[in-house]
Amino acid sequence: MNNINPNLNTNSFQKLKKFLLSKSKYNFCNFIFFVILISLIFNLLTWIFINSNWKVVTSNLNLYAFGSFPIDQQWRPTLWFFSLLSITFITVYGPKWNWLRKNLIFGWIGTVPLGIYLLNGGLGLNPVMTRHWGGLTLTILITSCSILFSLPIGILLALCRRSSIFLIQKLCSFYIDVMRAVPLIAVLFFGQLLIPLFLPVGLEIDRVWRAIIAFTFFVSAYIAEDIRGGLQSIPNNQIEAAKSLGLNKYQINIFILIPQALRVALPAITNHLIGLFQNTSLMSILGLMELLGVSRSILANPEYIGQYIEVYIWLASVYWLFCTIMAFVSKKLEQKMTINKGY
Amino acid sequence: MSKNKKKFFQILLVFAFLGFLGILINNLIINLARTGLGFNFNWLTKPASFSLAEHPLPYSPSDSYAWALFIGWMNSLKVIISSLVLATCIGTLIGFLRVGKNSFFSIITAGYITVIRQTPLLIQLMCWYFVGFLNMRNNSFLSISNIFNISNKGIELFGLNLSPEFSALLFGLSIFSSAFIAEVIRGGIQSVPLGQWEAFRSLGISEKQGFFKIIIPQALPAFIPGLTSQYLNLAKNSTLAIAIGYSDIYAINDTIINQTGRAVECFIILLCSFLILNLLITKVMGIIDKSIMKSGI
Repeated sequence: MNNINPNLNTNSFQKLKKFLLSKSKYNFCNFIFFVILISLIFNLLTWIFINSNWKVVTSNLNLYAFGSFPIDQQWRPTLWFFSLLSITFITVYGPKWNWLRKNLIFGWIGTVPLGIYLLNGGLGLNPVMTRHWGGLTLTILITSCSILFSLPIGILLALCRRSSIFLIQKLCSFYIDVMRAVPLIAVLFFGQLLIPLFLPVGLEIDRVWRAIIAFTFFVSAYIAEDIRGGLQSIPNNQIEAAKSLGLNKYQINIFILIPQALRVALPAITNHLIGLFQNTSLMSILGLMELLGVSRSILANPEYIGQYIEVYIWLASVYWLFCTIMAFVSKKLEQKMTINKGY
Repeated sequence: MSKNKKKFFQILLVFAFLGFLGILINNLIINLARTGLGFNFNWLTKPASFSLAEHPLPYSPSDSYAWALFIGWMNSLKVIISSLVLATCIGTLIGFLRVGKNSFFSIITAGYITVIRQTPLLIQLMCWYFVGFLNMRNNSFLSISNIFNISNKGIELFGLNLSPEFSALLFGLSIFSSAFIAEVIRGGIQSVPLGQWEAFRSLGISEKQGFFKIIIPQALPAFIPGLTSQYLNLAKNSTLAIAIGYSDIYAINDTIINQTGRAVECFIILLCSFLILNLLITKVMGIIDKSIMKSGI
């Protein structure tokens, strides 16, 4: 019903064939645009392969990936990348064993402490200060930690916003509305400035952790709204049915409401998590050496001065790749979580 | 939960919350006392003593902090409104092409939307500024008899001079938001039942006329909520101006904090100015929504 355009169902090759051979009156116009597009792509390719100088990227790959992490310890972030990659692979293409599927969530949760342990060191590994963390490693660490913390907080906020207790409901609504009204950069900046002010004297939190806390504050408000939408989509008779089965309030929330709300809210949550991944680049303004921060310091190097285009294209493609992977995994998860496939 | 139990729980919660808040505020007061700042807004009337490259109203460094903040707010409003208009125009065009019958354009626009949405706005902004405007030659890049002129000094349009910072922000924000707006437009158009298309086709109404007279009016109410949230996002994203040195409300707050160290007060000011901005956008969109509803479509 949603398909206005009958062409949308055919694949792109058929589309191209149809477009080139069709006799519509727009054909001439199409053709001109096609030629322009081809020439643009041709120019871009010649620029990429002939005119540009990719030395700024290829000779600094280490920096982009790990920042100033000690070179003899770089196997640690690499190991973490591989564990993340493998668990992603298992999630998407892994076998359908029931025990595996059930425990996969613990695997995902486990990657975050593993990453912190591998990066931070201690317990048999050489400790590495957080100011040496950097590059893609730091970007992924901030993203994964914030996701891990903000999902449960978001669920809790969403449930509290529907609470029958007046005070809890008002407080959560206030928090969510305020967080959604403020720009992220402000939350991050004031997170860096204000979190130390609210802590007792003597207790200090690292810059990276302050950033993660600020991201968690911000993203959990958005996730809470998504989940609230999911909760609202659950028909009331589900709750009545659960009550008639004798489940108590907490059982209803945990076994009936949250799983269904999560399933409905998954696309929206993924969008916000992808946004979170992209927005970790804002930390470069606040002086953290994540992917964009490292690139800015590389661009400040007199050897590579003025090579903005190469670096930005490289960065954009890295971010694009990771965002696309995230979107792909979420799509697969969505398919796996869908019940009633027959309809 | 019985009513008494609920009441008891609520009172307990109030105390717990107040206690927690008390600890936080106590810490804050101790920490502020240590830095010797305290909490007041008296500094707002003192001279700001920093200059602003861009000010729609007269401003000099001897003016007060409050006036500087207001100028920043005006700058924000300027860039938000202009990129809002531009983003809506581009986004609508892309959205129409995306759902249109022409499969060539629909592939191109789909590519545009994915690429723009999957790369961070900050990188796009920097690209527009450092590559797009500052990299241009001194002499004008594109010049049409003094009316329209793009160079590394920004854009000149009918004698109106837009700075490179403003232009980069304008383009970056508009292009970024247009991809999201295009998706909103596509969703809205696809929410109109297919039967409507078949109906006007069977009545012999031309495709163009049917699209603009029959489909769009029905899709308009579906556009409004999505557009509102995109406009709010645009307003929030405009704070990334600090990365390219445009003095918007956030950048000025940042400067003031660097000068005076008054983080708590500035946070409150920023919060209030964004609440006002959001309220403004939501109210205007509400009026538009009502007028659409009233026009009887």
